Amino acid sequence: MTRRVVIVDDHGLFRAGVRSELGESIDVVGEASTVAEAIPLVVAQDPDVVLLDVHLPDGGGQAVIAGVAPERPGVRFLALSVSDAAEDVIAVVRAGARGYVTKTISGDELTEAIHRVADGDAVFSPRLAGFVLDAFGSGEPVRDAELDELTAREREVLRLIARGYRYKEIAASLHLSVKTVETHVSNVLRKLQLSSRHELTRWAAERRMI
Amino acid sequence: MLDLRTVPARDRANGAVAGVSAGIARALEVDPTLVRLLFAILTLAGGAGIALYLAAALLMPSEPGARSGGTRRVIGLALLVLAIVAVLAGLGLPWFVQAAAVLAAGGALLLRRGRRIVGAVLVAAGVAVLLTSGGDGADGPLLTPAALAGGLLLVVGPWLWRTAQERDAERTRRIRSEERAEVAARVHDSVLQTLALVQRESGDAKRVEQLARRQERELRAWLFPEGELFKEDTLVAAIGATAAEVEELHGVRIEIASSGNAALDDDLRALVLAAREAMANAARFSGADEISVYVEADGGGANVFVRDRGVGFDRGEVPSGRRGLTESIEGRMRRHHGTATITSTPGEGTEVELSLPRSQP
Repeated sequence: MTRRVVIVDDHGLFRAGVRSELGESIDVVGEASTVAEAIPLVVAQDPDVVLLDVHLPDGGGQAVIAGVAPERPGVRFLALSVSDAAEDVIAVVRAGARGYVTKTISGDELTEAIHRVADGDAVFSPRLAGFVLDAFGSGEPVRDAELDELTAREREVLRLIARGYRYKEIAASLHLSVKTVETHVSNVLRKLQLSSRHELTRWAAERRMI
Repeated sequence: MLDLRTVPARDRANGAVAGVSAGIARALEVDPTLVRLLFAILTLAGGAGIALYLAAALLMPSEPGARSGGTRRVIGLALLVLAIVAVLAGLGLPWFVQAAAVLAAGGALLLRRGRRIVGAVLVAAGVAVLLTSGGDGADGPLLTPAALAGGLLLVVGPWLWRTAQERDAERTRRIRSEERAEVAARVHDSVLQTLALVQRESGDAKRVEQLARRQERELRAWLFPEGELFKEDTLVAAIGATAAEVEELHGVRIEIASSGNAALDDDLRALVLAAREAMANAARFSGADEISVYVEADGGGANVFVRDRGVGFDRGEVPSGRRGLTESIEGRMRRHHGTATITSTPGEGTEVELSLPRSQP
């Protein structure tokens, strides 16, 4: 199944590189290099997934998500960046991105990540999994016990992601189906986006998200 | 016309002593003799004339349009204070009227931007008069140390404050330019060199990747020094540094994820060495391009996982060389009261789990 994708990144060379590396199953229907260009383009094209750079000059990736969401709530965002600082990663996920990958990712893995996000699942890099385990690691739930804590199963899944396991390998190791693993990861994403945990709100505030 | 914004210059050429009277006369366009007469009269009024003359000599610059040096101006202003007080006392006004007049004038001038110093001087004079309250115009009380000190302090105060501010501004400017120079030097030393190397070795993809990776790591360490990977003397930073070395030596990519951190101690240092062995083994024998490392640390202990998706091996049939390495890792961990668990499936990869439980402090 072909997925329609828009690439938003202010580095022209990088956009060209990504374009050439994505597999046959990905159709790049547009490119933008600023927030102002991206929002109307995404609204017009209604792609399945938007590959979104976190650091855009006129407002950052969050601004694109905020601008597109009201009109095209079905569009999904996969954040892509050189920065792997916890604050940047968490901030863009809390803004609505369904996953975060770094720019050193291979073409094949990026293609797979796009498909996963298009299917409605979340994509966690090992580093993001580490950040999440860190953020949910200690302390009491702030407001909502369900949102502010990870279940034991979710922790196990995240830990395996952090160790570099792929979903199939996680499923085999924990004797689950891949679908179940995906569900766990999606639940973690939801918690990451909605929890009021101190670390998450602090990181988001540092990025002026709140 | 007298330009009140600048202090008139002395007229050395036409002057009798220091050109003070001549200079003032030139500015006011009157006969210099009249100015000299004024000074003489004021001298009779409690010695104010002399003080005023000296003050003027110090405050007035030698060239038109110039400004006297800082020290001269300060001393000149101090003398001006004394002179004003002497004049007022000499006029026989009640002391509180003198004080009030001087304070009012000083306050008014302080509010005008260009004349802050003079305003401050007048305020100082008023305060000096107050300090010698009850004085009847005699020279004695006027020159009490307290009055002098108080007056000088108030005069010098604003000047000192301004000097301090200028010095701060100067320091900020210097720090900024130093920072700019540092950025330029770093970019020159590392990034430019790397880019030149990349162009030269562009045929060797592996080498280019290595160069780029090393440069990326260096820049990250510089730009984001507070990241866990770079916090000195911690487990995560040590693992990061070790991984960088293994990457360079063997030409592989090592991705590091972490949760938590811990300060290094002897046991953790051993853990880092064991992890290094595991990474090097994976780089040498697995055939994989990428190795995944995960570090977790909290009060309960530390674990390091080193995983590759390479050829794997069968522990039962492992060639003696590799078995030796495995035992080396296990032995090291055991000696520090930790464990090493090595799982491998031929064709699928290997994972080394290094565990160091901690006794609770």
